[in-house]
Amino acid sequence: MKSDVAIVGVGQTNYVTKRLDVSVPELAQEAVRRALQDAALTMDKVDAVVFGSGPEAFEGVNCPDKWCVDAVGALEKPFFRINTGGMTGASAAMAGHTLVASGLFDVVLVVALQRVGESSDAQQILNTIFDPIYEKDFGLNIISTIAQRAIRLMELYGYKEEHFSMISVRNHLNAFRNPHAHLKLDITLDDVLKSRVLCWPIKLLDCCPRSDGACAIVLASEEKATKITSTPAWIKGLASMSEGYFVGDRDLALPDYYSLVARKAYEMAGIDNPRAQLDVAELYGAFTVSEMIQYECLGFCERGGGGKFLEEGITEITGELPVNPSGGVQSANPIGATALVRIAEVALQVMGKAEERQIPDVKLGLATGSGGTAQFFSVMILGKKR
Amino acid sequence: MIPKRVAIVSVAQTKYEEAKQDKELSEIIFQVTRRALDQAGLTRGDVDSVVIAAHDLVDGRSIADMVTATAAGAYHKDVIRVCEDGIFAAALAYARILSAIFEVSLVVAWGKASEGAGEVINHLSFDPLYHRPLGLNEVSSYGIRATRYLQKHGISEEQCAKVVVKNRHNAALGNPLAHLRAPVGLGEVLRSKVISWPIKLLDTAPKTDGACAMVLASEKRAREISGNLAWVKGASWCTDSYYMGERDLDELKSLRLAASRAYEMAGIKEPVRQIDVAEVYDLFSFLELMEYEALGFCGQGEGAKFLESGIPQMEGELPVNPSGGVLSSNPKTASGLVRLAEASLQVMNLAEGRQVPEVRTALAHGISGLCGQSHCVFIVGKQESY
Repeated sequence: MKSDVAIVGVGQTNYVTKRLDVSVPELAQEAVRRALQDAALTMDKVDAVVFGSGPEAFEGVNCPDKWCVDAVGALEKPFFRINTGGMTGASAAMAGHTLVASGLFDVVLVVALQRVGESSDAQQILNTIFDPIYEKDFGLNIISTIAQRAIRLMELYGYKEEHFSMISVRNHLNAFRNPHAHLKLDITLDDVLKSRVLCWPIKLLDCCPRSDGACAIVLASEEKATKITSTPAWIKGLASMSEGYFVGDRDLALPDYYSLVARKAYEMAGIDNPRAQLDVAELYGAFTVSEMIQYECLGFCERGGGGKFLEEGITEITGELPVNPSGGVQSANPIGATALVRIAEVALQVMGKAEERQIPDVKLGLATGSGGTAQFFSVMILGKKR
Repeated sequence: MIPKRVAIVSVAQTKYEEAKQDKELSEIIFQVTRRALDQAGLTRGDVDSVVIAAHDLVDGRSIADMVTATAAGAYHKDVIRVCEDGIFAAALAYARILSAIFEVSLVVAWGKASEGAGEVINHLSFDPLYHRPLGLNEVSSYGIRATRYLQKHGISEEQCAKVVVKNRHNAALGNPLAHLRAPVGLGEVLRSKVISWPIKLLDTAPKTDGACAMVLASEKRAREISGNLAWVKGASWCTDSYYMGERDLDELKSLRLAASRAYEMAGIKEPVRQIDVAEVYDLFSFLELMEYEALGFCGQGEGAKFLESGIPQMEGELPVNPSGGVLSSNPKTASGLVRLAEASLQVMNLAEGRQVPEVRTALAHGISGLCGQSHCVFIVGKQESY
């Protein structure tokens, strides 16, 4: 009954601290043009457009999507905007999938962006996500919340700060292979460990940057996809879920909903042994710790086995299951687009177009998304075969 | 053609009023969601997708869906937020069920204008370079549109005022939920304070607190849930250019395009004859006249003549806004979803004092964006067949 949908084109801007040379619509168009070029399509072949961007306080414009209508080729077409915080890009891709799988449209363009560089302080904008009555007074912010998760993991599983640092070293090194990456850093474990403590045990080099940038993908129906390209990346499985709002109501070390989301997506994709069946993963980890927690929830390792999993080198670009060959969120974080970048990067891997960061012979890849201090979590599985 | 059928199985609305001071936003959302489920005899366990519509700046925090989604029943559910009017969320929910991945979807939207600085937020929707310095906001931009429309077709302020008289009369007579329930006379409207000429205070919609929720289900689930359904026969949405200078201000082109696609899906060739009742987004009095034209109820420039013919009156051939429309209740971001709720109630024969006799087919219309940039049209009907 379900119809197959594929990604047939991918376009990304470079991710940088501040793009002074383009306006918001121009930034969006840069990614759109590249995605259409990749699919060898013109704007008139697109039936509907889905736009994604996070909190509008970053751009300082309410409904920035409406500003971009003409620039992204949505004029006189079905168009709407999605915003689910950091997961926006993944939610937008899922909405795009919905529109094609529904049979309503054949070719749907999904574009997501953020211009964090327009705002004076990203953290100030993100601080307002916490409940003004119960949570804000504790000084909760994105960094202190993730620090609590780190402490809980260290206590429960005996993870060391070094384990988190290993993730940072690998991500920043992989970024050298990605021409779009924002932060390419040749750093050692020691550099990460000695970087400035922001909220123990989170240090500066455990974090992601704040980036300006946009990403776009073209989705097509079964029939159209094979006509558009010989290398479509088929959407094999997808799922997302929300946890409760209050941070105090969640078990930060045991996010069961992550596992539930993964299980749903694996079931759709027919995956029963993710570590053996997946060839590459792009994980939404705005912090080293947020990547670490996903390994066990995604079934890459045993519960509490994240440290050993890292030590075995499995996630390295030459390893058995490379994680974040693009450099991941730690190397570029255009917030509302970041989760779409994960999907785009896996699509490129499946299509065999990932250039220097290409993992050989990728048949199945996984991308995660996460938003609202990890309240929202998503998984998408892409494959070479329908 | 769309292979599957989707029905609206339940609709819930709060009372619309100036300020719901006794409840915080999440309580309002929770209660209306709860009612929509209870009425259909459903529990949260029956729902597999939640689609909400809201804006961060309006709700007063970043990633506001963290708190609002969970209030709307999304704990451990697939949830997505569109930053458009709620009727666009209903369109996405419709597509989500058509995609065969989901079976039962909750759609929730709300407005709590009493807590926000609506005018400021609205002003921020204009681009910072060209439009914002002109001081444009919702009323002044629609004022420009009204000026152009009235001038082009020789329509008088009095003719516009007749829309207000009709809709406020309908609210007074038949809608206990309406915010403004006092009828107004023609002279009263014409003598009310000029806000942005030719728009006067009583030509504008109020600022309202309130919420609306509905449940959509696949054909199989819908039949199990209820014997009184509103089948979705057509749904389409479309957007116009961002810059007002790029648009033809004397017509609502994107509404015309959205309507024609929705009509095509629903097999409607003669809207006035085939549609029994319409709920349209009458944010301003003159706008309803323009909407008659774009919806094909009459020719270009004939909106006022159509109204004066009596057809859209409560006793007419095609009553428009029996609920009193947006001019009587405007819980912004939900106002379009309320139109769909009201159209569905008409089809279900549950519209009580505002019920139009023997409704088989109803139309609902909502707007998103600036000065009528994006439009969404739904056709719902008693019969499931197309």
